[in-house]
Amino acid sequence: MSTSPAKPGGPVLTADGTPLKTSLERSLKLSKLRALGLIFPPLVFLIILFVIPIGSLLTRSIDDGLSNKVLPKTLAAFERWDKTSEPDESMFEALVLDMKAADKLDLSKLGTRMNYEKSGWRSLLKITARGLTRIDGPPYKPAMLQLNTRWGDIEFWRSLGAMKDPVTLGYYLKAVDLKYDGNKNIMKVKKHNRIYQMLWWRTFLVSMIVTIGCLILAYPVAHLLATMPLRLSNLLMICVLMPFWTSLLVRIVSWMVMLQQNGVVNDSLVSLGMLHDENRLSMMYNFTGTVIVMTQILLPFMILPIYSVMKTIPSSYMKAAQNLGATPALAFIRVYMPQTIPGVGAGCILVFIVAIGYYITPELVGGKDGRLIGNLIAHHMQNSLNWGLAAAMGTILLVAILTLYWVYDKLVGVDNMKMG
Amino acid sequence: MMRNSLITTLLSTVVAVGMIGAAQAEVNVVTWGGAYAVSQQKAYGDTWKGEKINWINYNGGLGEIRTQVESGAVTWDVVDVLPAQVRTGCDEGLFETLDRSMFVPAPDGTSMDEDTMNKAPNNCVAPNIFWSYLAFYEEGTFKGEQPSTIADFFDVEKFPGKRGIHTWPNALIEMALLADGVPIDKIYEVMRTDKGIDRAFAKLDQIKDHAVFWSAGSKPIELVKSGETVMALAYNGRVGAAVLNEGEKLVPIWDGQVLEEEWWVVVKGAPNAEAAKKFLVHATAPQQQAAQAKWINYGPMRKSALNLIKANEPWHHSGVNIMPYMPTREEVLPRSIFADPAWWADYGGEISERYTAWMSQ
Amino acid sequence: MALPLYATPGQRIWHYCYVTVCALVLFFLVSPLIVVIPLSFNSAPFLHFTPEMLTLDPDGYSTVWYKSLFGMCDAEGASLWTSCTDKWKVGAFNSFMIAVTSTVLATTLGTLAALGLSRDHVPFRRAIMGLMISPLIVPLIITASGMFFFFAKVNLVSTLPGIVLAHTILGLPFVVITVTSTLVGFDNTLMKAAATLGGSPIYNFFKIQIPLVAPGVISGALFAFITSFDEIVIILFLGGPDQHTLPRQMWSGIREEISPTILAAATILVLLSIVLLTTLELLRRRSERLRGISPS
Repeated sequence: MSTSPAKPGGPVLTADGTPLKTSLERSLKLSKLRALGLIFPPLVFLIILFVIPIGSLLTRSIDDGLSNKVLPKTLAAFERWDKTSEPDESMFEALVLDMKAADKLDLSKLGTRMNYEKSGWRSLLKITARGLTRIDGPPYKPAMLQLNTRWGDIEFWRSLGAMKDPVTLGYYLKAVDLKYDGNKNIMKVKKHNRIYQMLWWRTFLVSMIVTIGCLILAYPVAHLLATMPLRLSNLLMICVLMPFWTSLLVRIVSWMVMLQQNGVVNDSLVSLGMLHDENRLSMMYNFTGTVIVMTQILLPFMILPIYSVMKTIPSSYMKAAQNLGATPALAFIRVYMPQTIPGVGAGCILVFIVAIGYYITPELVGGKDGRLIGNLIAHHMQNSLNWGLAAAMGTILLVAILTLYWVYDKLVGVDNMKMG
Repeated sequence: MMRNSLITTLLSTVVAVGMIGAAQAEVNVVTWGGAYAVSQQKAYGDTWKGEKINWINYNGGLGEIRTQVESGAVTWDVVDVLPAQVRTGCDEGLFETLDRSMFVPAPDGTSMDEDTMNKAPNNCVAPNIFWSYLAFYEEGTFKGEQPSTIADFFDVEKFPGKRGIHTWPNALIEMALLADGVPIDKIYEVMRTDKGIDRAFAKLDQIKDHAVFWSAGSKPIELVKSGETVMALAYNGRVGAAVLNEGEKLVPIWDGQVLEEEWWVVVKGAPNAEAAKKFLVHATAPQQQAAQAKWINYGPMRKSALNLIKANEPWHHSGVNIMPYMPTREEVLPRSIFADPAWWADYGGEISERYTAWMSQ
Repeated sequence: MALPLYATPGQRIWHYCYVTVCALVLFFLVSPLIVVIPLSFNSAPFLHFTPEMLTLDPDGYSTVWYKSLFGMCDAEGASLWTSCTDKWKVGAFNSFMIAVTSTVLATTLGTLAALGLSRDHVPFRRAIMGLMISPLIVPLIITASGMFFFFAKVNLVSTLPGIVLAHTILGLPFVVITVTSTLVGFDNTLMKAAATLGGSPIYNFFKIQIPLVAPGVISGALFAFITSFDEIVIILFLGGPDQHTLPRQMWSGIREEISPTILAAATILVLLSIVLLTTLELLRRRSERLRGISPS
């Protein structure tokens, strides 16, 4: 008789007497904890330095608290106003009191903010702030009108409507050429000033052309690489990977040297007599330049996924199809191509995602009509300092990309991503 | 909130630790690149006996200054800034106010502020230079009559061929209106009306199909030299440098040039503010202001400096007279437009949008 | 793909077209990089081939741009307008330091994450993996903008630690991807066998798992290094005057005027990329051999 008989129907015990189920659960829990322990430091690092910063983009894009902070009385008076009659003394009084109480710095920042809604606010606030010391008692309206006649312009007053709430969708509207009017109705911006819809469209178009271009160029090369003897294909693979490993700026410089007006390509064509000196092609600093350079830069992202799928397709399938009477072309289209769809899909999504957020390349080679939405984001971040608008455009772009990323994950799985 | 502030504190500590040992006894002077920066190094830097100067390039704009000031981690001392940024920056408290009495007066005793060609917009600034946007072409491009006015630049029938223009609207709006017959002193008045802007764009439409756009300062010279365009707009200093230093046969069209101010400022909370101010006193003295024109044809902001150059020609280091290349000499001023930074501060954003839309139509 | 002997003339023509197209595409990929190399030895300050160069006249070639790249200017080269500068040297040094530091950080963190993620029974595995790789997917312009706002709050803008941390984030996904893919082929029974044979878990980890994962770690590190070394957007948004890196120097050069000096720098970078690529290829082969995967 053994000392610890396993009763039939009772729990299975391990050597130390605990039920196997509990023991397994404990060991599973432990292994989960251990895994999480390993993941924890990089995860926290990523959340603090990447996820939170990108989250701060979101808050920037809807924050409009400054006007409420600086002009509370004025905005309250604005609510009582009928928006059509001339502003009365009470509104001027509220404005003067607000401006007198305001921090000088806030007022200057507010001027910048209000100028987005209507050009002229910046100088109007500045002139008024300077002359405010000379206004010391009611009635305020005549004194203000004397200070600057623009205070009689009802359009300035109306534009306050777009800024009255501390949270605004105004920047998002602006990012698609819309805006609020004084009553917070959404309307289109002036025809001459519509640039964002066009830029979104152009960004989409460039990304599409680049994706299709890459696909057309990548497919035969991937096929060649996948069907060649290994030793040779390894050598050619270096041609594919080398641009991938070379600095982006170097590649851009190279293309500038190649494609500019008196660059290598034009020079060669002229000296070969294929082109007249005065008809040199303009392939740089425009839409064409952007497309050519982006296609070359993103081509490896298309070749690699297609190649890795093609490598797994046995050549016997094609032979079988041909034995069954299909012409090589038919066999290729009906048997081979459908099997490459996963690679093609992965490559296309990857190239499209990367292309849509491009900034450096179009900035350097885009010229007049090859600049994309990323360039406008940078412009508003660094030059115009309209950070709210930059954040809103960034958020829209981010949502588009994350959606595609999600699709990519569903189709391919991010953990199947391989490098090199 | 709690978590956020904890993170903030932690990170700040990390940064503080990282910053230890970054002791500085040098003045960081931030300016533009190219020959312009070289001229400043020659005229202001090489003649300066004080702390070591670090010359740093930037691409303009207030973004970097604003973050430095707001975060309290200021690393820049002196910055070379454009007129619009000078005004916004001073209003927003990004610059130190400078004691006007510390600057060197003109030889005749006129105070520095009385000696500048344009009145100082605020007490943050120290005088620097005037530069301009102007049209130019290469000698021998046109047979017979030569272009001589800005109206000729916009006239593609009289002077056929492509035109090189920049990818932002500054100066172009003013030039278009002047070319369309608006008197110089009425230009900004007209630009304050919607009709005036429409008029400017209608004029720009006339060269739209002949325009080649540039964004880097060296490009227009290249465009004209290679024959890609017959005329172009450029920074006057670039045209001058090509003529004076490289012997190119480029002809500037002074008519309708748009003059832009350039000022020096000291960043608020600059690590070496005292040395920076001393450096500015040195750099803005008439002698140094004039010395800059030995190396590049930008107009000194101080009148006494211009007089100094006039009296001592040939002034340019290569031994030629520099005055014929000065954008601020008396003969060309009546047909020059002084850019109005106040207008651009108000309407610049809106006009940029419209210009971008126009450009890519 | 060799052409079978029994191919019809049509098939032959088709095959040659196909090979030509492939050759052209490969040429399209590589040619711009190759063109730069001879042009960087141009003795004249032009960006096109001079007649002297085409006739292989030695006078058409010179190393003057390399000298100016390294801040060595002879009296002629040091003329005012080609302003000879040590900024390339400073930039290269800064880039190297930043890249090394962020690579060490990214490799450590990324390897930890990959080891954790490749264990069995990890909750939210897919989501965490997605998050870890997202810095690769989110456009740099958005990452840079977001970091700019956040870093400004915590005084990290224009500081060296700020740049290093940002570059670490960008390098992280590469390490996670490469190490994870080495672990996919990792045979867990090896660890169990070692444990049965009496090795302590820590001993086994260092003696068995680490050597096998090493090629993945190193190639991940190489990716992280080159990412940081070439990085320009983050530098433009977050870098201060003290963080003057090589790409930044190139950027200002390209925007101003492409001089042959830039081509000289470009040539050196192309050579660097060839060295890195070769190293990577050797590592990959070693890894496959170690894991017993024969080249298919």
